[in-house]
Amino acid sequence: MATDTAAPQIDVAPPRGWRTWFTQENIITTIVGLIVAVAVIVPLIALVINSFLVLDDLGFDTEWGLQNYREVFQGRVIRKALINTAIISTGCTILATLLGVSLAWINARTNCPFREKLEPFNLIPFFLSPFVGAIAWHNLASPKVGLLNNMAKSIFGISFPLFNVNNLWGVIWVTGIFFAPLVYLFVVGSLRRMDPSLEDSARTTGAGLFRTTMTITLPLVTPAILSGAIIVFVTTAGEFGVPFKLSAPFGWETLTTQIFTKAVGDDANHYLGAAMSMVVGVVTAFFIWVQHRIIAPRSYTTVTGKGFRPNLIDLGGWKWLAFTYNMLYVCVAVFLPIICLFFVSLHKIWSGRIIWSELTFWNYQKVLFFWWPESIQAATNGIINSFILAFGGASIAMVVAIIVSYMIHRTKGFGARLLDFLSVIPIGFPGIVLAMGVLVTYIRTPIYATLWILLLGYITRFFPYGQRNISSIMMAVSEELDQSSRMAGASWLTTLRRITIPLLKPGIFAGWILLFVIFLRELSISIILYSAGTETLSVGVYYLSNFENEPMTSALSIAQTVALLICIVIFRKVAGKEALTA
Amino acid sequence: MSDNNYLQVNHLVKYFGDDRAVDGISFGIPEGKFLTLLGPSGCGKTTTLMCIAGLHKPDAGEIRIGSDPVTSIEKRINTAPEKRNIGMVFQSYAIWPHMDVTQNVAYPLEIRNMAQSEIDDRVAEALKIVGLTDMADKNATQLSGGQQQRAALARAMVFRPRLLLFDEPLSNLDLKLREQMRVELKRIQHEIGITSIYVTHDQAEALVMSDEIIVMSKGHIEQTGGPHNIYARPVNQFVSNFIGVANLTEGRIVGNGGGGTGTIEISQGGENVQLPCLLADGLSEGDEAYLSVRPENVDASREPMDGPRIEGEVIQSVFLGNCLDCRVKWGEFEWKVLAHSRERLRVGEKVYVRLDPDHTLAVKP
Repeated sequence: MATDTAAPQIDVAPPRGWRTWFTQENIITTIVGLIVAVAVIVPLIALVINSFLVLDDLGFDTEWGLQNYREVFQGRVIRKALINTAIISTGCTILATLLGVSLAWINARTNCPFREKLEPFNLIPFFLSPFVGAIAWHNLASPKVGLLNNMAKSIFGISFPLFNVNNLWGVIWVTGIFFAPLVYLFVVGSLRRMDPSLEDSARTTGAGLFRTTMTITLPLVTPAILSGAIIVFVTTAGEFGVPFKLSAPFGWETLTTQIFTKAVGDDANHYLGAAMSMVVGVVTAFFIWVQHRIIAPRSYTTVTGKGFRPNLIDLGGWKWLAFTYNMLYVCVAVFLPIICLFFVSLHKIWSGRIIWSELTFWNYQKVLFFWWPESIQAATNGIINSFILAFGGASIAMVVAIIVSYMIHRTKGFGARLLDFLSVIPIGFPGIVLAMGVLVTYIRTPIYATLWILLLGYITRFFPYGQRNISSIMMAVSEELDQSSRMAGASWLTTLRRITIPLLKPGIFAGWILLFVIFLRELSISIILYSAGTETLSVGVYYLSNFENEPMTSALSIAQTVALLICIVIFRKVAGKEALTA
Repeated sequence: MSDNNYLQVNHLVKYFGDDRAVDGISFGIPEGKFLTLLGPSGCGKTTTLMCIAGLHKPDAGEIRIGSDPVTSIEKRINTAPEKRNIGMVFQSYAIWPHMDVTQNVAYPLEIRNMAQSEIDDRVAEALKIVGLTDMADKNATQLSGGQQQRAALARAMVFRPRLLLFDEPLSNLDLKLREQMRVELKRIQHEIGITSIYVTHDQAEALVMSDEIIVMSKGHIEQTGGPHNIYARPVNQFVSNFIGVANLTEGRIVGNGGGGTGTIEISQGGENVQLPCLLADGLSEGDEAYLSVRPENVDASREPMDGPRIEGEVIQSVFLGNCLDCRVKWGEFEWKVLAHSRERLRVGEKVYVRLDPDHTLAVKP
C-alpha cells in the first residue's frame, strides 16, 4: 500500500487577494446582487436626497435644507397627519392582535364546532383589498348612506346614526378586521407546532387549564404574536386606501394620504412627499429590523419533525360562544362587506337603503365593458392593465425569486450575503414609500408614465414574498439532491432543469399565485406611479370613488373581489393549507 | 507514491476561510479495494471525499484516477463532477422524491443517452443486486431508510463508475439495520469489484468493512493500515483512543530491546513501574510516550503475578457473563480491566494488575 503517512508539509497559503475573488460563484452572484441592489437601493437613496431638497416659493427651483422635515414635524396639517397615523397604527395593531390571537387559539386549540370549515374564511380578508373593505364599510356604516344605520332606523326606529366610520375609529375598525389574519397566520402555526407535552407537564404540576394557557401556552407563542403585531403596525402605517376613503374626506388625514396629495395633483411637491415618506420608512424599517433580528430568532417553536396532535381544549357549552364569535368575525370581515357592495352596485343611485324595484346591472356595463363606447375608460383600462401587470409581474418576480434564492442557499459567494440582505429591505418599506422613491428616481426617464414603471415598483417591493416561498423549500430540500445529480453525470444546467426546478415546483406556483393576488389588488404603489392610460384595477376603483358614484365603485370592487376569490380557491388547491403558515 | 494505485491523492490542501480543513494529505488505493477514511467530525474526511468527487475544489494538490488526472491545481485542471464518472452515495441518500425508484436509478443512464432497452436491463440488474426488484415502481417517499439506502447505491453504481464514494451512508439508520447494511454493502462491493472510498466516524463500521483504513484528525492522516493493524498496533495516542477502548497513560521510554521491543516507565503517586512493551515506529530511549493497552489484554487477580507489580483497589466491578468489567484505581489512574469472571472481584478489594507484554504498546503522544 503506497500511502505516506508522514505527508511532507505543503506550504500553501490560504487563498487571499483579488485573484481568488474571481470565481464563477462570486462573479455571477455579485452581478445578480448588483442588479437587485440597483433596483432596491437607488430609489431609497433618491428618496433621501430629494427629502433634503426644498422647493422655493415659486415652485421652480430647489435648494438644500431641512425645511421639508420642519414642515413634517411642525407644519399644522402634516403634524396632525403624523399623529393620526400613529393613532391608527396603534389602534389597528391592538384590535388585529386581539382578533388574530383569539381566533387562532379557537381554531388551533379548542373543540370549537366547524373550525375546519371556518379556517379558510378567517384567511379570506388577507387576500382581499382593504380599500374595497373600506368602501363596503362606508356604505354599511356611514351616517347618511350607511345600510346598517338606515336599517336600524327603519326597523328599530333609531333616529340618530348608530354607527359612524367616517373618522379614525372607522379606519381602525376596517384595518383591524382586515389585518387580523396576519396575526392569525403567525400565531396559528406556532400553536399547531407546539409540543403538547409542554402543556401536559404544566398540568401534571397542578396548574389548571386557565393557568396553563396563561402561563405556558401564551408565553410560548409570544414571539409569534409580537411578529404578527409588528407586521400589522407597519402595514397599517403604510396603508393608503382605507384612510383615504373613510377619514381623509372628513378631515382626518394621515401621512399616506398626505404623501399622495403631494405626489400627484396640482400642488405636487415631490420633495415634501419624499420627506414624509422618509419619516414613515424610517419607522417601518426600524420595526421590521426589530422583528427580524430580535423577535424572530427567539421564536420558541419546538419543531421536531414529528407531526404533533396538539391538545384540544374542551370548551363545553362555551364552544358555541366561540363559534358565534368566529362567525361574527367572518360576517363583518367577509360576508357583510361583499353582500353590501353587491347590493349597492345594483342601484343607479345609492341612498342607504335597498330599493328592490330598481335593481340593475347597468353599473357593471359602465365599468367592465371596455369595448363599449360609453364605458368609463379609467375603470376599464384597469382591468386589462392589472391582468397584464399581475401576470407579467408575478412571472418576472418569481424568476428573480428563484435566482436569488438559489444564489443565497446554493452558492457561497460574497453576493449571496448581499442578496440575503437586499431581499429583506423592501419588506421594511411600505409600498407608497418605495413608490415615492421609484417616482423621484425615474420621473425624468422614458419609463415614467408607462406600465414599466409600475412593473418595476411591483417587482421591487414584492419579489421578497416569492423569494421567501422558494427559500423555505430550498432549505428543506437537501443540497445533496443536486449534488447526486452532478455525480450521476448531469451538468449544472441539466440538474437545474430536471432536479432543482421540479422539486421547487409547488413553491414556485404558490408564490406566483400569491404575487398575482397581491398585484391584482395593489393600490398604494399604483396610485403614486399611474398616469392616464396606465390605471390599474384599484386605481379604477379609486377613480370611480372620487369622480363617479358609490354604485359604480361597488361594481368594480365586486368584480375585483370575485377575481381575487377565484385566485384564493386556486391557491388553496395548489398550495394546501400549510403553505401560508410561514 | 506508487503507480500501482488506481486512485492517487497527492498533497491535497483545502481551506475554509483561514481554516486548513485538509492539510496536505496524500494516499492511494489499488483497484478493487475498499478504503475507509475514519475520523471524528471536522477531521477533513468528508472534505477530502468532496474533493475527489469534484464537488469541492481543493486549494492545492492533485487527484488521479487511473491515468486520468482529474484534479491538478498546479496544472489548472479540475474536471467537473459530472465528467468524472464517479458514483456517490450521500448521507441523506438524496433519492429524488419526484421520481420513482426506477426513474431514480435510470437517471444516470438517461444522461448518458443510452438506448431504452439497455437502460431497462441495467436498471433491473442493479435493483437485483441491491435487492429492490419488488420496489421498482414505488415512489421514493414510500421507501424505508434502508430501502432508500439501497436505491441510492443502485443509482450510484448502475453506470459502472470508476469509483464509488460513500459519505457516511449508514449514519441515519438505526443500530440493527446499520449492522446488517455494513455486511450487505461490503458483499455488494465485493461482488461488483468496484474501487470504493468510504467516509465514516464509526470505528466499528470501518473495522468491519474496510481493506484499508486511514485514520484522520484535524486535516492530517494519523495512521494508515488494515483493520487488524489499526486496532492492534495504533501508532499514537489519538488512534489508540479513537479506535476501541484503551488504557492510556503518559510515560517515558527507558529501554530499547531491539526488534521493536522496549521498556516504558509509568508513574503514579511516587510509584514508578517499568513495563516491557512494543515500541511504535520512531520511538527511542528517552522519548516521551504513551502506554496503550486494551482492557482485554489486562488481567487482575488477588494473588501477585510474575512481572512488574501494579497494586490497586477495585472501584467498580460489573458482571458481563463471560467476563468482569472492572475499574482498578492505581494512584490517580483507573485501569480498565476485563477480568476472568471466575475471579469474582469485589469493590474495595486490593488486586494486582498484569499487562500482557505482547499487547502492551508504547505509542507516540
